[in-house]
Amino acid sequence: MDAAMEDAGAPPGSDWDRGSGGAEAVLGLTGAGASLSVCYHEAFGPHADLILLEAGDDLLPDLLQGRVTVRGRPEEEAVLCTPSATYAMKFVGTSNSMFLIPPGEAVAASLRPDHTNEDATVASDASASIIKVAPGSIELVRTAPRLDKLRSLLRERPYVLDEDLGDDSEDKKGLYTWEDLCVLVQSSDSELLEGLNSLSAVEIDGFWRTVDVNSVNTVLDMILHNSVLHDWLLNALPENGVLSVMESDGFTHKIVAHCLSRFGTKVEQEAGSCWRLDERLVCLQFARKALSAGKMKLNNFMDKWERSIPSGMRADLQMLEGEVLYERLGAETWVHAFSVADLPLTPAERFVALFRERPRWEWKDLQPFIRDLRVPGASSEGLLIKYARRTQPSADADPIFTAR
Amino acid sequence: MQIQVRCGCGEAACPEWAVVEVQGVLQPQPCFSGRIQGLHIGRLCSTSSPPSSKGGYTFTIGYHELAGSKVTLKKPLLVLRKKKNGKGGTGELGQGGPAEVELEVIGIIRHKILFKDRPKALISKPVPKEKKALPAAATPSTVPPAS
Repeated sequence: MDAAMEDAGAPPGSDWDRGSGGAEAVLGLTGAGASLSVCYHEAFGPHADLILLEAGDDLLPDLLQGRVTVRGRPEEEAVLCTPSATYAMKFVGTSNSMFLIPPGEAVAASLRPDHTNEDATVASDASASIIKVAPGSIELVRTAPRLDKLRSLLRERPYVLDEDLGDDSEDKKGLYTWEDLCVLVQSSDSELLEGLNSLSAVEIDGFWRTVDVNSVNTVLDMILHNSVLHDWLLNALPENGVLSVMESDGFTHKIVAHCLSRFGTKVEQEAGSCWRLDERLVCLQFARKALSAGKMKLNNFMDKWERSIPSGMRADLQMLEGEVLYERLGAETWVHAFSVADLPLTPAERFVALFRERPRWEWKDLQPFIRDLRVPGASSEGLLIKYARRTQPSADADPIFTAR
Repeated sequence: MQIQVRCGCGEAACPEWAVVEVQGVLQPQPCFSGRIQGLHIGRLCSTSSPPSSKGGYTFTIGYHELAGSKVTLKKPLLVLRKKKNGKGGTGELGQGGPAEVELEVIGIIRHKILFKDRPKALISKPVPKEKKALPAAATPSTVPPAS
């Protein structure tokens, strides 16, 4: 169904909901011989504003306690979001006639002026009244949140360090608050928050932003530089010390705290909060920086990378899984940046992008680029079968994957 | 845009609606076309005694009789009502502002009385002035009954 649902066009004077449908009488009709007349309600009509939604018992509490929203732009397929999950809404039509009988006391059918209900037994006893024939119902199917859109929105205007100075314009273009994102991105709240975390987004002055890569590098360099100056251990950076020294260097509290949490984990100690920098995350950041100019011979890259990382840390090619690709050209191995974080999040588009990069993939190369794909109801193996062709030249050879 | 799904009744007190489902369509005779509101359709009759409560029913429409049973839905159906709030003059493309449209849960359907078989003719009982007919042509036999 479309996000913009058809206009209801309720008939005038639809006061049927005051209750006279007789649902209780229908459902309570038991005992041999007990019977009830069934008629069209006085307000019978198309009632396009009435929609049936199929909801499993697990979803009922959220639906009945107002914790559910329908999200999507008019041009998008609507999704239904609970606080923690996203569901596609599929209209399923039926060729049966589903007569809807609202609640309320069954009342005697009125005598129609044209005497079409002249049968005395009909007019005198209670009737259940049909308000509408439902053409079908909406089914909910768990779906992945549409986070590609979140990523492209947040990349419109990454935060850069100097924007704290000067730039006081009221221009909010490319800036999104949490409420904006809830309206624009088809995702439940908790999936949206997870998406923001995986994009390393940070809320600055009320807007959720990604941080420009050069700015991240600058802040990280300064933190490492200060750790040397002040004899801080990289696995125990004192939080207060880092924040105050960095502040005097002109870096805002918010952005320094963001970089600490991006590259480290917080450890509470007696002397106060400390941050332990993660070797892999820090080294990875330096590898990206080394490769930012384009592809390099592996040896040259290793030299450059190892020289750039902080002393005490050790570079290891395993840290670069899902971040680079190797290529043999003649006797040389070349390496270039190819990050899973830049690839589409939907499986179909992900595989298209992968096979565009490389028509043939060995499993060990491919695996880091698809292991993050999460699709409700499908395993990674299932996705692989659906989007790739597996060939194995001989029984002991590694399987090769090509496009379907 | 974002449409809030609200529920005024709360979890415990959501009023239960009933559904009577038949195969095919019910066709009013042409003379009623356009104004069938209030028109009598037929008679729903319970055929089982309370202790067994197997939920057997017949539904007699004109000279047709349907036999069916009460079915508990695997997943309940919620009855939602689409409501437009306030002015709502800006159309569906209202840019992010407060949602103009709201969905309200007004009822829940947990059971239906399903008549999944084709009707049987009641030849012994001539109906002088039958109001509705369920013509065989209107019950598509290719479509399996929902159950």
